[in-house]
Amino acid sequence: MKTLIVGLGNPILSDDGVGVKVAYCLRKRLLTHPDLTIKEASAGGLRLLEMALGYDRVVLVDAICRKGGLPGVFSRLCLKDIAAMAPTQNLASAHDTSLTTAVEMGKRMGLDLPHEWIIYAVNVTHIDAFDDRLTAAVSRAVPRLVDTILKDL
Amino acid sequence: MKRIRIDPITRLEGHGKIEIFLDTQGNVANAYLQIPELRGFERFCVGRPAEEMPRITSRICGVCPEAHHMASSKALDAVFGVTPSPAVQKIRELFYSAFFVTDHTTHFYALGGPDFIVGPDAPPEQRNILGVIHKVGLEIGRQVIACRMRNHAIIKLLGGRGVHPVAGLPGGWSKPLQEKDRVWIEQAANENVVFAQFSLKLFHDIVLSNPEYLDMVLSDAYTHSTYSMGMVDAFGRVNFYDGRIRVVDPGGKEILNYHPNEYTDHIGERVEPWTYLKVPYLKKIGWHGYQDGAKSGVYTATPLSRLNVSDCMATPRAQEAFEQFYETLGSKRVGGRYQPVHFRLAIHWARLVELLYAAERMLELSQDKEITDSDLRPLVTNIPDEGVGCVEAPRGTLTHHYQTDTKGILTKVNLIVGTTNNYAAMAMSIRKAAASLIKGGAIITNGLLNRVEMAFRSYDPCMSCATHSLPGQTPLKVTIHNAAGKVVEELSQYTEPVS
Repeated sequence: MKTLIVGLGNPILSDDGVGVKVAYCLRKRLLTHPDLTIKEASAGGLRLLEMALGYDRVVLVDAICRKGGLPGVFSRLCLKDIAAMAPTQNLASAHDTSLTTAVEMGKRMGLDLPHEWIIYAVNVTHIDAFDDRLTAAVSRAVPRLVDTILKDL
Repeated sequence: MKRIRIDPITRLEGHGKIEIFLDTQGNVANAYLQIPELRGFERFCVGRPAEEMPRITSRICGVCPEAHHMASSKALDAVFGVTPSPAVQKIRELFYSAFFVTDHTTHFYALGGPDFIVGPDAPPEQRNILGVIHKVGLEIGRQVIACRMRNHAIIKLLGGRGVHPVAGLPGGWSKPLQEKDRVWIEQAANENVVFAQFSLKLFHDIVLSNPEYLDMVLSDAYTHSTYSMGMVDAFGRVNFYDGRIRVVDPGGKEILNYHPNEYTDHIGERVEPWTYLKVPYLKKIGWHGYQDGAKSGVYTATPLSRLNVSDCMATPRAQEAFEQFYETLGSKRVGGRYQPVHFRLAIHWARLVELLYAAERMLELSQDKEITDSDLRPLVTNIPDEGVGCVEAPRGTLTHHYQTDTKGILTKVNLIVGTTNNYAAMAMSIRKAAASLIKGGAIITNGLLNRVEMAFRSYDPCMSCATHSLPGQTPLKVTIHNAAGKVVEELSQYTEPVS
């Protein structure tokens, strides 16, 4: 199965970069895997949609801010979960749509979309100060998440 | 004083909040856009080699890494005292024009466009790109995606990397353009020109032909008369990559024309108690509050203000569109320039004029014989010290200013990002939009969020220069406080994420 893994976030904005750090680690472990592409990006829905075209499966790894969420705890979500968090389907950023809106658009346009979207979301709290290191709790989650994703594939 | 808070804003990077303060009569006294500051960028940079900056600063923002990369590369030209060769300048501008094509396309179809194409009073769940393709057809959606993808591919090819480019060097560019790639880019640029012309026609057909929409564009609710700022070339034409900064007054008279490295002489930064960010204003006029008019130092730096400061466009089809823009909006030529247009919703139209210019400029550059020269890596021999790099970002004039020690290690970094220029003007637009729906303590909640959003969305703001976090949507929440500071109304399009 042709799989794309995307680590999302900003690697110099503290815990916002956790997805990218996971992608770095996965790349070291899976350097020669033929069916697997590992990328990092800081991108919204349309950009992700465009990146995902032609793949059977996409795994996204990103930071998430939740009220009361313990830093470093991660969960496995699907597109429906993301849609439930964002009931109005408005756009995510100044220059992009939410992922669910983009995927819906891709479906309507008959694009060659992945059959499966897996989203790993890591709880974070520190995303407003520039730093190329993760906080301790989030950093400890990285190897666990890498193992979990490898088992998942 | 009552206080209204809109928190945070949909469709914007980062989490902005809008605070609206009511007076004792229940009318809008003031409105502020609060932008949470990302801390420590300067500290993060100081002590690093200056030549890392194009790659570091492109990480500031997930939306316009190309603009930061370019301003930073130009700042390094100045820090190291090297003049880029013509081929370097042309490749950089080609790269930068492709970025403008994709960025302006995305804003029009996915962000600003929904307000017009789907309609200003359509329910929020339809005011997005799905609503747009429902209205104009799937084929247009395919063209938008195709336009984005071909220009992203060009950016990747020229910039050496997809999302965050890496090719900028002091006085140089790390990657020459091969002839076979030039041919392909020329073809893509031709497609961009057709697409931009089509987009302008769509704007004419859907917005200008609809009296209701046109009235809204021309309405006082979305009009502010301020100074305009933009970069112009030696012939007074719009240029995104290089030139001098021109500022014209609300009537169109040039009051400033300076080299970007003189920016501190002309731009003051006001500190406000309600935000960490500084609010820029024109020093020559001074700060006189959030006010319209020639006596207020408030200015804008947007696609509209770039057209307002320019004598003409540098490419033929964009020049036609430019003339049509001003003639249609009733502006006359005075002293070689059209009188400035101040309708804020016309920024969307101006953006499409710029889209056509960027596409045509790409085509010109892709046909330039010199652009495939391999003379791209000058030898740097001067002792580095200080430099300013300036470009027009899609959302306003972007300035990078670095100081280094004699070994090129950074000692000071200052950035004025595009959106910041429009900080005061956006607050004024929000105040006006809110005032039309809040009178004598009566708050018309239905439509308030959308009208307020429409007011600042035309500026194409990029708030925190942060990236994003899940769920990939920045929610909108409005909180309204009365004169005593008590919450009287909360409006929200957001639910807490499921755990």
